[in-house]
Amino acid sequence: MKFNLEGLTVYFPYEYLYPEQYSYMLEVKRALDAKGHGLLEMPTGTGKTITLLSLITSYQLAHPDMGKLIYCTRTVHEMEKVLEELRKLQAYQEKELGKQAQILALGLSSRKNLCIHPTISGEGSRENVDAGCRKLTATWVRSAAAENPDIELCDFFEGYEKKGADALLPAGVYTLHDMKVFGRQKGWCPYFLARHMITFANVVIYNYQYMLDPKVAGVISRELEKECVVVFDEAHNIDNVCIEALSVNLRQQTLDGAQRNLTKLGQVVEKFKATDADRLRAEYNRLVEGLAQRGTLPQNDQMLANPALPDDILREAVPGNIRRAEHFLAFLKRFVQYLKRRMGAQQVESEGPLSFLDDLNNSAGIDAKTLKFCYDRLHSLMLTLEITDTEEFHHLTLVCDFGTLVGTYTQGFAIIIEPFDERMPHISDPVMQLSCLDSSLAIKPVFERFQSVIITSGTLSPIELYPRLLNFNPVTIQSFAMSLTRDCLCPMVLSRGSDQLPVSTKFDMRSDPGVVRNYGRLLVEMAQAVPDGIVCFFVSYSYMDAIINSWNEMGILKEIMQHKLVFIETQDVVETTLALDNYRRACDCGRGAVFFSVARGKVAEGIDFDRHYGRLVIMYGVPFQYTLSRILRARLEYLRDTFQIKENDFLTFDAIRQAAQCVGRVIRSKSDYGMMIFADKRYQRHDKRSKLPNWILSQLKDSHMNLSTDMALHIAREYLRRMAQPFDSLSVDTGTLLNEAALQRPQPMEVG
Amino acid sequence: MSPAGPHPQGPPADALLQDAEEDGDLEAEEAGRDARAWEREYADERSWEMLQEDDAGLLRALDVTAQQRERRRRHLAAPAARIRRGMIRYLVLVVDLSRAAAEVDFHPSRMAVVAALVEVFIREFFDQNPLSHLGIIALRAGVAQRLTELSGSPQSHITALKASLGADGEASLQNGLDLARAALAPIPAYGHREVVVVSSALTTCDPGDIHAAIAACKKHRIRCSVVGLAAEVYICATLARLTGGTYTIATSEGHLRDLLLEHAPPPPALQQDAPASLIRMGFPQRQPDGAASICACHADLRLDGAYVCPRCKARVCELPTECHVCSITLMSSPHLARSYHHLFPVPPYDEWQASSSSAALPATCFACQAGLPGVAGGATGVRLVCPRCARHFCFDCDAIVHESLHNCPGCECRPAAPDDPPG
Ligand code: SF4
Repeated sequence: MKFNLEGLTVYFPYEYLYPEQYSYMLEVKRALDAKGHGLLEMPTGTGKTITLLSLITSYQLAHPDMGKLIYCTRTVHEMEKVLEELRKLQAYQEKELGKQAQILALGLSSRKNLCIHPTISGEGSRENVDAGCRKLTATWVRSAAAENPDIELCDFFEGYEKKGADALLPAGVYTLHDMKVFGRQKGWCPYFLARHMITFANVVIYNYQYMLDPKVAGVISRELEKECVVVFDEAHNIDNVCIEALSVNLRQQTLDGAQRNLTKLGQVVEKFKATDADRLRAEYNRLVEGLAQRGTLPQNDQMLANPALPDDILREAVPGNIRRAEHFLAFLKRFVQYLKRRMGAQQVESEGPLSFLDDLNNSAGIDAKTLKFCYDRLHSLMLTLEITDTEEFHHLTLVCDFGTLVGTYTQGFAIIIEPFDERMPHISDPVMQLSCLDSSLAIKPVFERFQSVIITSGTLSPIELYPRLLNFNPVTIQSFAMSLTRDCLCPMVLSRGSDQLPVSTKFDMRSDPGVVRNYGRLLVEMAQAVPDGIVCFFVSYSYMDAIINSWNEMGILKEIMQHKLVFIETQDVVETTLALDNYRRACDCGRGAVFFSVARGKVAEGIDFDRHYGRLVIMYGVPFQYTLSRILRARLEYLRDTFQIKENDFLTFDAIRQAAQCVGRVIRSKSDYGMMIFADKRYQRHDKRSKLPNWILSQLKDSHMNLSTDMALHIAREYLRRMAQPFDSLSVDTGTLLNEAALQRPQPMEVG
Repeated sequence: MSPAGPHPQGPPADALLQDAEEDGDLEAEEAGRDARAWEREYADERSWEMLQEDDAGLLRALDVTAQQRERRRRHLAAPAARIRRGMIRYLVLVVDLSRAAAEVDFHPSRMAVVAALVEVFIREFFDQNPLSHLGIIALRAGVAQRLTELSGSPQSHITALKASLGADGEASLQNGLDLARAALAPIPAYGHREVVVVSSALTTCDPGDIHAAIAACKKHRIRCSVVGLAAEVYICATLARLTGGTYTIATSEGHLRDLLLEHAPPPPALQQDAPASLIRMGFPQRQPDGAASICACHADLRLDGAYVCPRCKARVCELPTECHVCSITLMSSPHLARSYHHLFPVPPYDEWQASSSSAALPATCFACQAGLPGVAGGATGVRLVCPRCARHFCFDCDAIVHESLHNCPGCECRPAAPDDPPG
């Protein structure tokens, strides 16, 4: 349908619209009008994606001068889903408007997902595919091949290259698969074609990293114009993504590997000196003139850009003492040596970049300025030496990353050296972490560069904290509830067991056998009353292991297994995938199953337990972070000093958003239904509970709080019976759906 | 990875927080709320306001309209047009007697409730489908057990079920379906094959692939329906969806009864399910009482008379049935006649809308003369109008007309127009 939204004609591909979608559009539109940023929370299952897409593309139609829509997703799977939605929308718009509504939309991913070379594409890991591709497409390889036909090249790249700038995608919506099909048809490499087409596309969908990680963003997102609208979907963990983008971990193996790399590089330099000394001299001259000109490199030679943010890179010449290849290598040797020595520390050390640099200068004579150029210098050297197997020099690259970051930032970082894992103090496993503490650093250039940035997710509560964490000023902040035709979610707070004793995973209570038994009984009872799938989230792996052990000894596990099969998430990805697969099968064939999982784990973040795969989710405890972690300590301190966020506030915020994320897994659409049990007496407290997202809170009835196991069981039984009754999903009259007619007549829409 | 690896030894985050969350705190908060949860439930629903004292000083429910509408939905769902129906049904009733059937959320227990209602169902079934056959399978301890063969005698089914109550072990839906299929597969093509599962369990423990069993049922054109007692189970929903059956969940004993009885009237038949064909039937004569005979069905000496098969002269003691000697279908003509109304149902009554012409509303129900709603001083509830004769009826008469009488009193009292269908 199409309707008028404050003067903007919006094309929406479905017959009906939820009221919250309408308000959501309104907010997004206001943000776009004001050319500002937005922070919006809307629960999953309300069609957030299609709402966003339909509003922004309609806006693009009305304002041709507006830039691209850049839609950032977390996974490839999500990317494909967005593209599917967009395809539907596009078909509708074209039907309404004809040719002029045509757009070009495509997903961009790494070579691993886009390569169609028969052997390279089967390489497996992302690094291997990248390296394999480079071996076939680097400029010097290609020029060598021109003389020697035995050298292998990639036909697809050659095909693409031959067409040059004429290699264009016709308008349309392309998923990764479509790109590959198109590439095969034309004999063009889909990866390079996609990179090329970004400039022409109206909608680009890619991973967070492409926008946030300076190493990747410098290569990919550099040329995007200011008028673009950037959307971060499922952005509840965006602060962590930002931090990870600027953090580096070094281990013993890394340093050893770096040393080997250096030796190898030394040999290559020697060889070049003997055979092709001109080349090295040319590089030297180039460096004297200025920084290695990354901007002019052909696409196929680009590796990764500098790990520091573009604004922080000095536009000046590389310092004299590392201009010569052998000097630079000697410099790196000293640096690695120094790091090795620091790594040998017996105690945990934690310091800021300034004192680290000071010590470095005193004991190894390396100054910050030189360190800063580490990465670019290495990059330039590798190009000069015509090294294609970047994967091999991975360790050295990491060390240079580290160097450049330490050299560039004196604020908002911490260097932490831990000689052993605290869980296993007798095994020496030193690790040196350069940890970014300030999540606003990585995202700052995005906010500054683009006119509108929309951050959205199903769980962004408490929403006031995000602007402070990310240090920006949104023009609109809003949290929407879900309009429901029936109570399709049923949250409960369980604070005690059937014996009326409180349950909690608080440190002093968690190993109490009474609490463990009460938790176990809860699951046994629920396993009897709830059909198909149940998902349980625990606060940590160690806690999960401990409690499952105790349940096993108490015979509780056996009782559960009489009703349902039990599957457990482990730290091993393959094992977990297998477990998930079998879990789904058990749900499909009616046997029923329980899945034990961990908050903050892979499953909690990315796997949906919708429909019969999750009729109930139990959140055992409040998933606080492990506060003895040095990095967290450092971050808390930094947050307190810089942003005046209290430790307590941040920890609670973080724990509750994880909990909300976990329980949100069960409900992915309005026609679905599911129960959520928060099993910890601490959820009873206002300060915790009130931080839950609006769409959960609004369903949390007073009578569903402070429950004991038997009361919860009773509620669950009633609820499941009620939900099993047939219902009618289209109810335009009750105001939970709006159709074209309803939107035509002027009506006051309340927001929120 | 975020540095989240929580830890067995060190105190967790919450130990660091200024710990104000003692239990006393919790209770204080609780006391601060104005009422207990259970109190509030009553306060919210204000159930006493649903009652009203009438002139006679009796308590009456204030407004039953909504309730009545809800109940009427069942009739309205049935298509009114004349459709082909499977008149000769072969139905296997699968009763779940697994451990879950011993639960007591229905009183005195699910099993007892199910047994009682199944009895009602069986009687109603034979009442409405005199030409049909029924068999019972019990699911217990992981296996499926055949309690009765497909046959036409209600009494023998009921006795067999009553004799073998007792819950144990798991239910295996697959075994149940396989056994039912084995019983239904040899049924001639004109017979309508059905399985109705009354399921307490929320899980099924199968020895093999249940999806294959479902596919086999579909292949044999067996319509499988499930009536659940607790919650929606995915596999049951799939079973019903794929085989064209229904899946319903009971919320209470009364609801369970309604849901079971929904399966009593014959379901619509699809052309390809049961091709039209002529069936040879026998109408046996009854032997006078007192003449001793050996009945073929029980191999028993009977003195109270028996029916004699017109083709082979074998004695059978109950109708309708299949002759045990020459396998002709035996029945009496009233049986045939009773099946008739399914083909010519009374059209569902419409609810009278206040907006339609209010000229001279009849104050009483045409059938029972009870006061009707909608006029001053009338009762509450819905008022119904027959679309054919335009007479007004009350809610109770509507139920009787459509469920038992199968004749509209209004239409019967009026001289039949020549093109009117009978009934
Ligand atoms: S150029 Fe394209 S197709 Fe060829 S190897 Fe590289 S990514 Fe694969």
